[in-house]
Amino acid sequence: MWFFVIGELWIFTCYFACYIYDRGQNPELFLAGQQLLSRGIGVLNTIILLTSSLFVALCVQATRARDVATASRFLALGGGCGVLFMLVKAGEWYVKIRERLPPSLHEFFLYYFMFTALHLIHVSLGLLILVLLWRELNPMPRRRFAAAPGAEQPRVAFIEVGATYWHIVDALWIAIFALVYLMR
Amino acid sequence: MTAYLRSPLTAVWLILTSVTFASWWLGASGDSHRLGVSLSITGSVVAIALLKTRLVFWYFMEVRSAPAWLRWTCDGWLAGLAVVIFALYSCGS
Repeated sequence: MWFFVIGELWIFTCYFACYIYDRGQNPELFLAGQQLLSRGIGVLNTIILLTSSLFVALCVQATRARDVATASRFLALGGGCGVLFMLVKAGEWYVKIRERLPPSLHEFFLYYFMFTALHLIHVSLGLLILVLLWRELNPMPRRRFAAAPGAEQPRVAFIEVGATYWHIVDALWIAIFALVYLMR
Repeated sequence: MTAYLRSPLTAVWLILTSVTFASWWLGASGDSHRLGVSLSITGSVVAIALLKTRLVFWYFMEVRSAPAWLRWTCDGWLAGLAVVIFALYSCGS
């Protein structure tokens, strides 16, 4: 998982480099586009993802303590925050699309939609992974009874690997938020 | 659940949310004046983002207790990202 994560980080670095370069060619246009974004929504989504990361990190701790019920609750809260992030982002997109953005700001909004769409794909994959973690914490009854003695406990390493992916989704959003919403 | 919430991770989350609000304030500063490129605002906002990312790596992803190669790789990526951002930003502005 770590090799995949490091690859993802460098791929996003290339996207960020293209964005900063193009921004430098026409800073006024990018600043004007940035003014049409809602920083409040960006902050809200950042807090939601940070909270989600906290819950998933606490899920790992509870799993290590063999406290499966609490781990499941933290995982559900983490996943719930992920779904909330997607809903807020969908609302932001809806508003932007209805606003009929000026064609002169096309380049900035091309980057805005590309970054946020790529990130949403990662959030979706992260949520899918959280579902797999849920299945690991709460196996189906058939599997639970068929398992060998001592094998009913969730695999801690499996939970840790899934959580790592979820945290990288959070880390990428931190960078996107700073570069697209805040930098001048 | 409350016992787990007393973990140091919650303190890290509090720092992360606090600096998010600080970067929001920084990003919005000067909105009432002429809008323009600002190295000081960009530098502060990017520095806060790098700090936040390192906290996520170090505490949520537990890189602080990972093998040395992984700690160096994560810090290397953060340093590389900072160099790329500031080099290209300086070229353009």
